[in-house]
Amino acid sequence: MIELDPLILGDNQFFGINHMSQEKAQQMAERFNDMQAIFEAYRAAHSLGIHAFMLNSNEKAGTICDYFRDHRSEFPGLVLYPSIPYPHKYANLVAEQGIVGAIQTALSGQSAVNLLGLAGKSLSLLAGDLTRILVMLIDVEMKIYRHLDFKAVYLQNILTDLLLGLEFREVFIEYCSYIEKKFRAVPGFLTMNVPRLATYLESCGIERAVICGAVNKIGYLMSPDVVSYEEYFRGSQNYSITAMSIFAGGAIPPRDAVRYVGQQGIRSIVFGASSRNHMQATIELMGEFA
Amino acid sequence: MDLKAVLMPSAKNGEPRKILNAAIIGAGRMGITHLAILGAHPAVKVVAIADDSPMMTRALRKFRPDLRLFDDFARMLESVQLDLVLIATPPHLHAAMIDAALDARLSVFVEKPFTIGAADALRLTARSRAVNGAFQVGYVNRFNDIFMTVKKLLDQKLLGRLFSFRSDMFGATVTRVSSGSGWRGSHQTGGGCLYEFGSHAIDLMVYLLGRPERVQGVVFTPVYSAGVEDIVRVNVIYSDGLAGSLTANWSDQSYRKPTNKIEILGEHGKILADQYELKIYLNRAVDPYVKGWNTAYITNCFTPVPFYVRGNEFTRQIFHFADSVLDPTQPNLSGFSGAAVTQEVIDMVFADADGGKQ
Repeated sequence: MIELDPLILGDNQFFGINHMSQEKAQQMAERFNDMQAIFEAYRAAHSLGIHAFMLNSNEKAGTICDYFRDHRSEFPGLVLYPSIPYPHKYANLVAEQGIVGAIQTALSGQSAVNLLGLAGKSLSLLAGDLTRILVMLIDVEMKIYRHLDFKAVYLQNILTDLLLGLEFREVFIEYCSYIEKKFRAVPGFLTMNVPRLATYLESCGIERAVICGAVNKIGYLMSPDVVSYEEYFRGSQNYSITAMSIFAGGAIPPRDAVRYVGQQGIRSIVFGASSRNHMQATIELMGEFA
Repeated sequence: MDLKAVLMPSAKNGEPRKILNAAIIGAGRMGITHLAILGAHPAVKVVAIADDSPMMTRALRKFRPDLRLFDDFARMLESVQLDLVLIATPPHLHAAMIDAALDARLSVFVEKPFTIGAADALRLTARSRAVNGAFQVGYVNRFNDIFMTVKKLLDQKLLGRLFSFRSDMFGATVTRVSSGSGWRGSHQTGGGCLYEFGSHAIDLMVYLLGRPERVQGVVFTPVYSAGVEDIVRVNVIYSDGLAGSLTANWSDQSYRKPTNKIEILGEHGKILADQYELKIYLNRAVDPYVKGWNTAYITNCFTPVPFYVRGNEFTRQIFHFADSVLDPTQPNLSGFSGAAVTQEVIDMVFADADGGKQ
């Protein structure tokens, strides 16, 4: 089993994402509009001993990675867990331009596109070699993390779960092998369907991968249901799990949330915290229950 | 009616009765989403897809060799034995495809907006009554946990007589000057903010409040688009003293993702809701709600779905459709007749808009 950091600071709070309330999301978006507030939170986390950060490749992530590169000495032992891509960038592009147009825009200006002489509609000629498009898209998303240390690279859940439903077996296999080969990192998957994904990855013959999914006692963002997750955690697992959404956006008191995760035998969580006090409290609870 | 009891019997009743053969027309964003979701339904097998984009068909041929692929939907309907079809093409193509599906006596799920113009919507609704099957339009908000809760509360007359409302939708879909190409850039093909976003805001209003009497004071505002509106504002008047406003804006970059918001004021209080959160203000306590403000989050009132792709409501609407095909006697929560009313309101908005429909 792959060893994952026990405490990974997530980034939803920095980007105005809250899975329980748009109003709370808005408050966070305003509070962390200033990049300095985000950097301050990362410094606080690091000083408390949290050295692992999950960072989605959204529009602010490039600036955050620049900051980590420019302040290397202040973040010894820093480990990133990139998650790619930022889904709403693509959702909006696809809504505006269709799937083919969105891929063209995402890849436009990339050297690979220019090298291949791909312009305009000729991208569709590449359709027969979709795995090449896939690795080009991965490269686009991974560019911002260059020269930083990362352990696992997670495929964002909207894409993971879409591909899982589509049963695009070769895409899972290609993603895993490319992440290992090119980035020497562990392939990871965010998902809202942990038991189903784990079973599917096994059926694809994928041995080395990690999964990050919601784990909370109310079953929020856990499909098909909380009972299936608990059964899965009791069984013999092939993939290391990082728990996310453990507070269910704030619906579960922190103590109950961390205790529940510990009871499932999970030793790694990604959590959102907007202040030093919240981080400290979570560290203490993890010490107590996990 | 307890909405949640109606939903997803297949998830509870163990073994399904039969396996339904399904086809999807249009393998764009929504068609692909539906394909992913249907793969998890125990009683449905997607056997064929029709799409005329070489890129999508080549992708499907490579990754899903089990599917039969067609570049022409009519040929697919002729060649494949089907029970149901999902239509997720640009809206101006819907009507002819639904007609062909009804000719073949298939159940139909069609993406929103239902049609271009209410005449086709009403005609197809009438035609569908002669076919034994399920007929649903993809107004996904009708399957959102929060909006379903609001519907239940309004049906229980929690607010008493209603006076005033807002139904709004905001998002960041069009945020630059676009070339105007593609079906979203023209009303003739079902593009523009009114069809794309406004239809959701209007349908949510129709779902919760019923059919309005008239609309007035429509304003279309272009921001980035050349041929269509990016913002639409409408005043909506009901016959019983209820009036409200509707705003749809697909060019608002402060929204990370598309968001519907509603506000409904009645004699006993007010409801504020979006896809995640419900606030109820009551002038008096009504068990289990207290006098004053009550807040419920999605985490208080969600029901899980068997397989999650883009949100519980997307799975729930598709599973509801499949379950309605298995048992057409069950009421469909987003049937053709309701969507035809939404289409009539869209027509009213176009008729009132400056310059009329293009």
